[in-house]
Amino acid sequence: MRRFFRTYLPFSRAGVQMMLAYRSDFLFHLIGEMLMCIVMYFVWFAVFESSNGSTFMGFSMTDMTVYLFISFVTSYLTYSDGAIALGEEIRDGSIVMRMIKPVSFDMTFLFQELGGRCIEVIIALVPMCVCVEAYKFCVTGSVMFNPVCFLLFLLSTVLAYLVSFYFNVCYGFTAFFLKNLWGSNVLKDAIISFLSGSRIPLAFMPPLLQGLLTFLPFASLSYIPVMIYMGMYDGMTIFKSMLLQAFWLLAFWALSKLIWRLAMKRLCVQGG
Amino acid sequence: MIYVDNITKEFKKTIKQPGLLGSFKSLFNPKTEKIKAVDGISFHVPKGEILGFIGPNGAGKSTVIKMLTGILTPSSGTCSIDGRIPQKDRKNYVREIGVVFGQRTQLWWDLPLTETYAVLKEIYEVEDSAYKRKMELLNEVLDLQDFIKSPVRTLSLGQRMRADIAASLLHSPKVLFLDEPTIGLDVVVKDNIRRAIAQINAEEKTTVILTTHDLSDIELLADRIVMIDKGRNVFDGTVGELKQNYGQMRELNFELQRAEDKALLDYGKHFGLGEDDLKVISDGVNVTVRFNSELVPVGDMLSYTLSQVHLSDISVKDADIEEIIRRLYKKEVRIDA
Repeated sequence: MRRFFRTYLPFSRAGVQMMLAYRSDFLFHLIGEMLMCIVMYFVWFAVFESSNGSTFMGFSMTDMTVYLFISFVTSYLTYSDGAIALGEEIRDGSIVMRMIKPVSFDMTFLFQELGGRCIEVIIALVPMCVCVEAYKFCVTGSVMFNPVCFLLFLLSTVLAYLVSFYFNVCYGFTAFFLKNLWGSNVLKDAIISFLSGSRIPLAFMPPLLQGLLTFLPFASLSYIPVMIYMGMYDGMTIFKSMLLQAFWLLAFWALSKLIWRLAMKRLCVQGG
Repeated sequence: MIYVDNITKEFKKTIKQPGLLGSFKSLFNPKTEKIKAVDGISFHVPKGEILGFIGPNGAGKSTVIKMLTGILTPSSGTCSIDGRIPQKDRKNYVREIGVVFGQRTQLWWDLPLTETYAVLKEIYEVEDSAYKRKMELLNEVLDLQDFIKSPVRTLSLGQRMRADIAASLLHSPKVLFLDEPTIGLDVVVKDNIRRAIAQINAEEKTTVILTTHDLSDIELLADRIVMIDKGRNVFDGTVGELKQNYGQMRELNFELQRAEDKALLDYGKHFGLGEDDLKVISDGVNVTVRFNSELVPVGDMLSYTLSQVHLSDISVKDADIEEIIRRLYKKEVRIDA
């Protein structure tokens, strides 16, 4: 185990350094996403203003605000694009440079990305949670921070990230057929942002669709951690939801291994 | 050390029909053909030897290297390196080898060179003291200190190649695979790299397999040559043996006093030489004659030339390995055609 971390932690360190090398790019991206989030806030604000009751589908404006910002930071943190690079490397054959090293490919990508995630937790997650809690205090006049919920939220976010990572590894392999991932990537992100509830809470969907979407892997990507953070789930639901996340993690992990083995056979074609 | 026994590698190639409709057709009903990239190659490399692995483009050199490094699996046949099968237990096998693909890099593009080395040190579990010693040695032979703190993307090709070679040697591999390590480099850097390879080979008894298109790499470094073409062994032996076996091509260069004297010379008819053994190139008063000195002694060639025409200058050039190999490549093409 120690050897495992000794081998892969340098990848995380390199990931941090690479992020710092392109720090302005990272900051602009973060600011851009933030602005989008603020726009969404005003859209929902207008919806609540024009509706008759103070709640909408069981959400108050305060709930909605917390949902928007926590959901934003969760999907930001669980977004994984290192695996797209894997697809690129398979396509152009530079994957061989990883194969001549005594390491696992998915682990090198995972740890490299985790390095960057550590910085994002400090720069994005911590300030965001502080702001959200301060906002809740201002509106309700009492401290409602629940450390147990927060810890469970963190755990669920880690699971969500891993599901996202292996989902994207599988997606990265489509590079074999699609040759260029940019266009399909935009499509995939749009579908995910809708189906995972990161734009509109799944609770707002028609019951049938909601039931279906809760079990699909997309809810595991950000909706479950956010619900846990907001205290919307009771103990049993939290347990079941995390189990579901673990199931999808296992499923995508196994699928990625299977595809990898098939991909190795195809890799022959790219040789030469 | 390295045993390669009758390995072959077949690729399935999808034949794409032209047009969008064709693309769809081949998506559902792909037509494939089998291509034998490597067809029964065998050789053996003893420990500490530098083997030059040559052949024209598309001969299957890279495919063989990829099978020896465990990236590709042979369709049939076996190879073993230091008693290990590359495809089995890949992670442990690659600890023993170093690989440089001249066209790719194993360095981290955006990070200073030292960071790549630090990551490699952990991956290969190199001890601190051994790492320090190794870095000093590599610094000395490859001159890394000027750019070791710069991000890799700012390095020139020559610097990058030196850095890549150093990266592949950090863990003191038993076998070093170099796939075109001097591609696109200037003479000084080539020389630097050749000296480094020779020194590492001498000091650490590292076995080296080297593919290249630059034949001076072979002449200066390789103890032995294995030449392949169209996936088959064509030659296996030393550079000296190659020169002996494949005829002594000599080059006669002279300058005529009068350009129209050229008509007086007909080497082919006089000596009865075929196209393979004779080539005459002329440009104004300058004439170059390449001929097989086993069939026609140099003296006969000279006396015939001098008896026919008046010259203002003449020189004879020694057998050139490049010429031999050019002939060898060409011959192979003819046999198959």
